[in-house]
Amino acid sequence: MAFALTHKDVHRLNRILQDLLDRSESTGCVVCDHSGYVLAQRGVDSQDPLVISALGAGVFAASRELARILGEDKFSAVFHQGERKSIFICAASLDVLLVVIFSNEASVGLVKLYAGPAADAVRGVLEDVRIRESTVQAPEHTFVLNLNEDVFVSQ
Amino acid sequence: MSFINYATREIQLKIVYYGCGLSGKTTNLQVIHEMIADEAKGDLTSLATSQDRTLFFDFMPLVAEAIKGFQTRFQMYTVPGQVMYNMTRRLVLRGVDGIVFVADCQWDKMGENVESFDNLLENLKLQGDTLDNLPYVLQYNKRDLPSIAPPNYLDFLLNNRGTRRPTVNAIASKGVGVFETLNLIAQLVLNSFIRKHSGGAREQETRKEMVLM
Repeated sequence: MAFALTHKDVHRLNRILQDLLDRSESTGCVVCDHSGYVLAQRGVDSQDPLVISALGAGVFAASRELARILGEDKFSAVFHQGERKSIFICAASLDVLLVVIFSNEASVGLVKLYAGPAADAVRGVLEDVRIRESTVQAPEHTFVLNLNEDVFVSQ
Repeated sequence: MSFINYATREIQLKIVYYGCGLSGKTTNLQVIHEMIADEAKGDLTSLATSQDRTLFFDFMPLVAEAIKGFQTRFQMYTVPGQVMYNMTRRLVLRGVDGIVFVADCQWDKMGENVESFDNLLENLKLQGDTLDNLPYVLQYNKRDLPSIAPPNYLDFLLNNRGTRRPTVNAIASKGVGVFETLNLIAQLVLNSFIRKHSGGAREQETRKEMVLM
């Protein structure tokens, strides 16, 4: 079954992400799930959020396996430092990640400080979505295929 | 598990190319990336070893106007085929909406094909999925090589699960069968999505018939 976000859900997530960007002086952030789906993003339009999401989910999954090998229950966050840009990934829930991208003019401490509460807030929104999906009958939406020919054409 | 964003009018779907080592999974994505229009694709990202063997996965986003009023984003992944990377295959399979199983048609690869297919079944089972509930296509690749098994033998080995699934004969390195495979799995995944979300009543017939080759 699909996971569906409404305008209201996306608006709540966007507010959380924008608040995180403003407070931590980060340049972009993405909320993605462990399958690599992008749930929300702010400030990463110039990069491809799908690629960031796919690779971020992969990196975090690999780090969880490393944690397991080392006898840790989990690594709750991953930090990669670059010369100009760095990335911080933390778990918002078991299957949802918060990826924060920031330039080295921002402080990693500040990013870590604000990413935690932002991840908690994201988890709250997604828990509301799950509760809604399990208790409220979703309004019927008609999806209609738009195919008169092949989905993809080679050139 | 697909993902719908009503705010951005976007649907995300995940397709994974599975199969034994060196069967041609990465080649499929490379050919698609070379031959598809720029506006329909993102970058092809490959996490590979120095010998160009897939270490983690290849990833490429594709976009289509396949569902009215929504932009459909397909996330295309390959898995590493080598036996030792099973944990990685499990990670990539999470949330999959459709699978292309790429089989190497050479006689001496039959054992590896069967092992990889069994490994796929096992990994799906571990995440609570079953191939019976998922759209999938079998691609019989490397049809140009000498000493290859006939398609009906590959069917006997790999396409024997009650309902026969679509197969495509391919020479991925020359682009033969690559887009046919891509369009088959895309249409199956889209139809499955529509069926799940519209109670089956509004599923539309697509132009292409699914033909067992």
